[in-house]
Amino acid sequence: MNSIENPGDIRLVNLTKKFGASYAVENINLTIPHGSYCCLLGPSGCGKTTILRMIAGHETPTSGEIHIGGEMMVGKPPVERGTAMMFQSYALFPHLSILDNVAFYLKMRGVGKDERRQKAEEMLRRVQLISLKDRMPAQLSGGQQQRVALARSLITNPKVLLLDEPLSALDEFLRLKMRGELKSLQNELGITFVHVTHTQPEAIALANMVVVMDTGRIDQADTASIIFNRPKTPYVARFMGGQNVLTGTVEGSKAGRIRLKDARGAIFEAAAGDSTPAPGSPMSFAVRRDRIKLRKSGKGKAAANEIAGVVEATEYQGSYVKVTVDLGGGVFVANLPDGDYFADPVDKGDGVIASWNTADVNILTIVDTGAAGDPYVNAGH
Amino acid sequence: MAASQSYGPRPWTFYVLAALFALFVVFLYGPMIAVLVLSFQGPSASLVFPLREPSLLWFDELFNPRRVGDVVGAFNRSLPLAVMVMVLTVLISVTAGFAFRRRFKGSTAIFYMAIASLIVPGLVLSIGTLVTFRYLGLPAAWYSSALGSHLSWALPFGLLIMFAVLGRLDPSYEEAAHDLGATKWQTVKEVVVPIVFPGMIAVALFGFTLSYDEFPRSWLTVGSKNTLPLEIWTMTTNVTSPALYALGTVTTVISFIVIVAALSSIAVIQRKRSGRT
Repeated sequence: MNSIENPGDIRLVNLTKKFGASYAVENINLTIPHGSYCCLLGPSGCGKTTILRMIAGHETPTSGEIHIGGEMMVGKPPVERGTAMMFQSYALFPHLSILDNVAFYLKMRGVGKDERRQKAEEMLRRVQLISLKDRMPAQLSGGQQQRVALARSLITNPKVLLLDEPLSALDEFLRLKMRGELKSLQNELGITFVHVTHTQPEAIALANMVVVMDTGRIDQADTASIIFNRPKTPYVARFMGGQNVLTGTVEGSKAGRIRLKDARGAIFEAAAGDSTPAPGSPMSFAVRRDRIKLRKSGKGKAAANEIAGVVEATEYQGSYVKVTVDLGGGVFVANLPDGDYFADPVDKGDGVIASWNTADVNILTIVDTGAAGDPYVNAGH
Repeated sequence: MAASQSYGPRPWTFYVLAALFALFVVFLYGPMIAVLVLSFQGPSASLVFPLREPSLLWFDELFNPRRVGDVVGAFNRSLPLAVMVMVLTVLISVTAGFAFRRRFKGSTAIFYMAIASLIVPGLVLSIGTLVTFRYLGLPAAWYSSALGSHLSWALPFGLLIMFAVLGRLDPSYEEAAHDLGATKWQTVKEVVVPIVFPGMIAVALFGFTLSYDEFPRSWLTVGSKNTLPLEIWTMTTNVTSPALYALGTVTTVISFIVIVAALSSIAVIQRKRSGRT
């Protein structure tokens, strides 16, 4: 409104969508800068697709504003928004050839047959599908269909490309290949991509902005590495995977370190941030699984940032070994480099002490309310 | 395919079911074949087997009537009536199908009301239509009262087919068209109708055949001039010549042509879409 915005800037202001009495999206504020690759990440039903569809103009917000390139877009049809959407099913028109599918947008605009076919052929050449131009969609493989869908979207010359779970219909090999292609396409075009996914590695590999969602709200919007290394909430930590979430009560703080004690009596230390928590208040933190060291119990007593437990399972993962430790109420996972593990292997039933460095402790802004109702508590990655 | 994978003899249930199916086929096609064969009966005019001196005599009798009723006239009413029912069934079923896609208030009630006319006995409906037309002071005719009562029969079928077809239509096709700048009308014309066209042919086929051979709903509603099924019925009571069989053969052949045309056009469209040209 006041600032000069780039054509592919997306700004969502107090965006809300209700279906009946329930909120699909609740009061979302988000700015996606022009030219970024943004992934909306969350489990199914978290509202990520609804946000995408509202940006695209296929769903009308209950309240709130959607600005693209500084222009308020609510109520405008998709073509006026400068967006193009790629559907999860690709939605290629089954009765039209590949060429006519790609030329559809031009046909709707009244472009003559020769001109639109010529432009569609150019676009198909760009996605290397020109040899298939006379085929029907049913004759194409999943990866080819996806490229046709991309070509059909890109011919509209969009400022924003919206992708709804674009890789979910592909097999593992194609998914990785298309993932790379999407990333380089975005680099090449320099337009904004908004990509909805429920797969964490996909988001981390593609996005320079990851938005983690939970039941209609944004939990955290940051760069991929911050989301992965410094999750703000227990939910984000668990959803992104690779983290252990622990909770303790603040005992006090000195020399820039907060001291916590949990219900089992274990002592934790964390670097104090800007605020000093009051003694007696609960606090949660996360530690990456691959920053954990394990030793057999009996070799020294548990000190600060050490916790004792019993090995519940070990799982060989190639480059590392995933060791699940039962803390006596609560599960803790250590991903040990295979070399370290095999130097002193532990097995099911062994008593162990897990330890980590204070620097690896990431304080969460919300106190973990525990396992109840959280399906990601024991999600293994 | 499956048989090559099984080992040992077939179970006895196979033979029981095969015998049942054979009986079914005999009952289905036996009478039709008997009528077909006997329509070529010679001048002996025998209504029963055996076939003596095969000829086309009774087909000639049909089109140049001396003794039989007004077959050509009845056909000239039945065919346009069936075509009208077909066109209206397609138009109404398709547009109603679109309306029902986005659930509106009272849609369920309207749907059940439409379907309920399937269980109303045709003869009762025929009487009711006649009585109503009399009360309103309107003459009953094949193009008015009979058209209405035929639609009460063909429309529910058309609606059910269209609901099934549109129910399977992925809404993202319409959204994709909208996304690519198509107006509502362009979306219907360029995307939805071409995609559901095979279903529309099926609706047309039902509309045509249900009307073309409809007896109970025609009985009192056609007015003074008969449609073909009524004419055949009249003939069974007062014509005692193989011309009856010839008529049966001709009408069956017409139905058959309509069905083959409809099904093969569906097959052609689907083959084109899967790319096997």
